[in-house]
Amino acid sequence: MSSTSIRAGARRRGVLWLTVPSLVWFAVFSVGPLAAMFVIATLRWKSLLYEPTYIGVENITKVFADPTFHAAIRNSVIQVAVAIPVMIPLAFMLGYHLYTKPRGYRVLSVLYFSPGLISISTTGMIFYGVLSPNGGVNGLLGTLGLDSWATAWLADPDTALATLIAIDLWRGVGWTAVLFAARLASLPAEVIEAAQIDGAGRLRTMWQVAFPMVKDYVRTLTMLQFLWTLFTSAALILLLTKGGPGTSSTTLSYLVYAKAFAQRDLGYSQVVGVVLLLFGIAGMFLIRALLRSREEDTR
Amino acid sequence: MKAPRRTGLLATLLSWGYALLLAAPLYYLAVSALKSNIEIFTRPFALPATWLWENFGTAWLTADLGGALLNSVLVSVVAIVLTLGLAIPAAYALARHDNRLARVITGTFSAGFLIPPFAALIPTVVLAIQLGLFGTREFQMLFLPASALPLSVLLLTQFMRTVPPALVESAALDGAGHWRLLVSVYVPIARPGVASVTILQLLTFWNEYLFSLTITGTAPDVRTVQVALPTLISDATNLGVLAAGTVLTVLPVYVAYSLMNRRMQEALTAGAVKE
Repeated sequence: MSSTSIRAGARRRGVLWLTVPSLVWFAVFSVGPLAAMFVIATLRWKSLLYEPTYIGVENITKVFADPTFHAAIRNSVIQVAVAIPVMIPLAFMLGYHLYTKPRGYRVLSVLYFSPGLISISTTGMIFYGVLSPNGGVNGLLGTLGLDSWATAWLADPDTALATLIAIDLWRGVGWTAVLFAARLASLPAEVIEAAQIDGAGRLRTMWQVAFPMVKDYVRTLTMLQFLWTLFTSAALILLLTKGGPGTSSTTLSYLVYAKAFAQRDLGYSQVVGVVLLLFGIAGMFLIRALLRSREEDTR
Repeated sequence: MKAPRRTGLLATLLSWGYALLLAAPLYYLAVSALKSNIEIFTRPFALPATWLWENFGTAWLTADLGGALLNSVLVSVVAIVLTLGLAIPAAYALARHDNRLARVITGTFSAGFLIPPFAALIPTVVLAIQLGLFGTREFQMLFLPASALPLSVLLLTQFMRTVPPALVESAALDGAGHWRLLVSVYVPIARPGVASVTILQLLTFWNEYLFSLTITGTAPDVRTVQVALPTLISDATNLGVLAAGTVLTVLPVYVAYSLMNRRMQEALTAGAVKE
């Protein structure tokens, strides 16, 4: 070993302190609030203006006996159980299609990409117009002579949740497809080309050659989309339905928000927050188990 | 490298069908921005009979979009400077070490990447109140970098790992200290990474809604454009004005995208491709 590399080695020691500012920042603004959830869940705290008092597990019994909470669990389960199994396979197929560079794929990829640029509040405003009783969807149905299908999509208890799930898909499928296409393009093309020269059909090449090659990535994106759908639904619901009519579109995420800010019960809100967190962790383990790649078992 | 070019009819139909589904609301938005409520309902997808350009002016004034755009720019720019200021030194340190402590720190950020920021919304509001920063833009400037740090540090570390050791050795031989190494070797080589992180996080900051709404709030002097836009909804919403406001809000993002769509697509896919 030359003297320079020894000197470089000496210099190298102790640089890790440069990570301290970012770790402190992360601890104060991210880890701290996350830990505080568990404390707030044990408090009677009627509004941010009042002093909280400790009441232990009382909030938990109250939450678990509340029909609104049951409805929120049901709606959240429906939301992820419909949105994710539809979104991921569809996005993979569309992503594979983009990857094969079909005619007009540039236009397709720009369009698929565009929901990723639009904020949740803008998405909310676009669909507020499209779905309002005098909006685009009902207008289109009228033009097609299907007036009887027209409804107040967001104010009808039978359609509110389904409509919100449809918006999740509108946003999520194309964006995820672009990500799959980018991933497939980063792989060596020979394997897929070889499969096609061997005469494997399109479907077989897609599912039996391309899919196993990106399975780890499919798993990562499934987890991310699951967490996104589960946790961030509050914003869109706040903008479009406020959880209603009744509790028909109240999800766990929205309940956390509504209990804290509209109904002024922070303890209740944070019990739901903890449930949401546990639900998220459980879902991640489930997705990991379902999409375990074979290479990983033997690796 | 040539990708296979065989196309099934079904795939073609499906892909263009979905593209149409994506385009329709955007088209509807654009034409509605120039119409009255009555025309929006009676001729939803037709071009406007008379082009009501004043919808844009009305939206601009009603929601005070000018002030809101300035607030958004201010918050996003300060937050991105702070993010880079925190993440670049950390990434440099992590790229130069491969011991157990460095792996623990990397692991912390990897786990942090998975936590959706929404999870801790309410305790974050409490924190803002305790710091005396509730209802201010300053809290968002401090908070947004924290939510962006895990991904930013991880991405930048990956890019900084590509610095050739020989280059570091020769710079060290010339007597370069950490600061010189960082500024004149690591950052220039990691420039595509810095660009990606900047684009990705600027977009995230610009689009942030729920924290801005609950912490910065709806007061006209501090609210961001994402918070100002929904104030156009009322009991008697003028859908044309709402659409015009929405167009004005997404316009900066689309202009940026049309100027550098390739770079932007790279940056945003890098954010999720990270592994």
